[in-house]
Amino acid sequence: MASLNYPRVRRAGRWFDLRRRRMGMWAYALNRITGIGLVVYLYLHLVILSQLPGGPGSWNAFVALARSPFFLTLDVVLIAGILIHGLNGLRIALTGFGIGVKAHKILFGIVMFIAVIALGVAAVLIYGG
Amino acid sequence: MLEITLQIFRYKTGESPHYDTFTVQVAESASVLDALDVVWAKHDHSLTYRRACHHSACGVCALRINGLEKLPCVTPVSSVWDGHTPLRLNPLRNFPVVSDLIVDVTGLFQRLSASDLEITRDAEPTLPLSVDNLADLGTRMEPEPVEPPENLTRFNRFESCIECGICMSACPTVAADDKFLGPAGLAAIYDERHKTGDPREVAHLLALADGEHGVWRCHSAYECTEACPQAVDPAGKIMALRRELIANRLKKGRRK
Repeated sequence: MASLNYPRVRRAGRWFDLRRRRMGMWAYALNRITGIGLVVYLYLHLVILSQLPGGPGSWNAFVALARSPFFLTLDVVLIAGILIHGLNGLRIALTGFGIGVKAHKILFGIVMFIAVIALGVAAVLIYGG
Repeated sequence: MLEITLQIFRYKTGESPHYDTFTVQVAESASVLDALDVVWAKHDHSLTYRRACHHSACGVCALRINGLEKLPCVTPVSSVWDGHTPLRLNPLRNFPVVSDLIVDVTGLFQRLSASDLEITRDAEPTLPLSVDNLADLGTRMEPEPVEPPENLTRFNRFESCIECGICMSACPTVAADDKFLGPAGLAAIYDERHKTGDPREVAHLLALADGEHGVWRCHSAYECTEACPQAVDPAGKIMALRRELIANRLKKGRRK
């Protein structure tokens, strides 16, 4: 009898299906999204750095662009990704060592609270500076 | 009586998957499985689903109710139905769908077997019953006293998993890694590891957990523990295995 077996890519799409899921799954999806985002950023960063051999002209043009409000907002998004991924990663590392497994939801709340505070400070510095 | 609308996932070999909608009347105290029984009895005999014990002991009826993995036999309609939106029933995720709400759970039992977990006894004790001695049936049905094991916690843990597959369906990692031992397999390894004192067997079980598709593939979504209807806590067991593996590595490092 032929059975219905969905392809792996479609099944992996469930990483982001958060309907009615609990906090652990939200943390999981956030870590995936920010992880993918940071990898994309890394490559973008390398592409931007590759402009350096073009001399001061091309680099200064990019720096002027990077100071626009749109790029500053992207900086804030980048820092949000780093904070969420990094701090949630600490939580995962702790529970992976068997520390605070029962309190993983509280730990997530704590690290996200720290992330929001740090992001607020970073946003003030980025837009204010 | 409640008049409830069910939206049920349908799939038969050679057909495209789709949903069928049924409106049925059930008692206010009815379970979701009762509602499915009414659909089968009064609307569509071709609907396939599993049912057996009706009290969360066998785990065969496991499916998704409004997206979440549950045992419909012990899920009252009133606890999951908002009174107007159709109740959506889907088969478990991460298993091939055989027909309608029935999935092929071979993968679950293969994973449980990987840990050498004893799924069934070699021989079941049977009662010496016959129609000729029904008179003393009552006395024969008296259960023999069971000696509680010395470690009651261990006893409870072994008995807790009903092999329903709910944890495998809830796990997002199983969705993308067909070889991942998954919460059920890893919880079974943990249980077996704590039942044995044989160093060779412990080493074998820990090597299994430490493998490419073992505990390190878990990404801490904790959905298995949230969804488990029997409080087996597979995620807690996975983390406990990790802790032991890390401790063993640290000990080995110190010896070097």
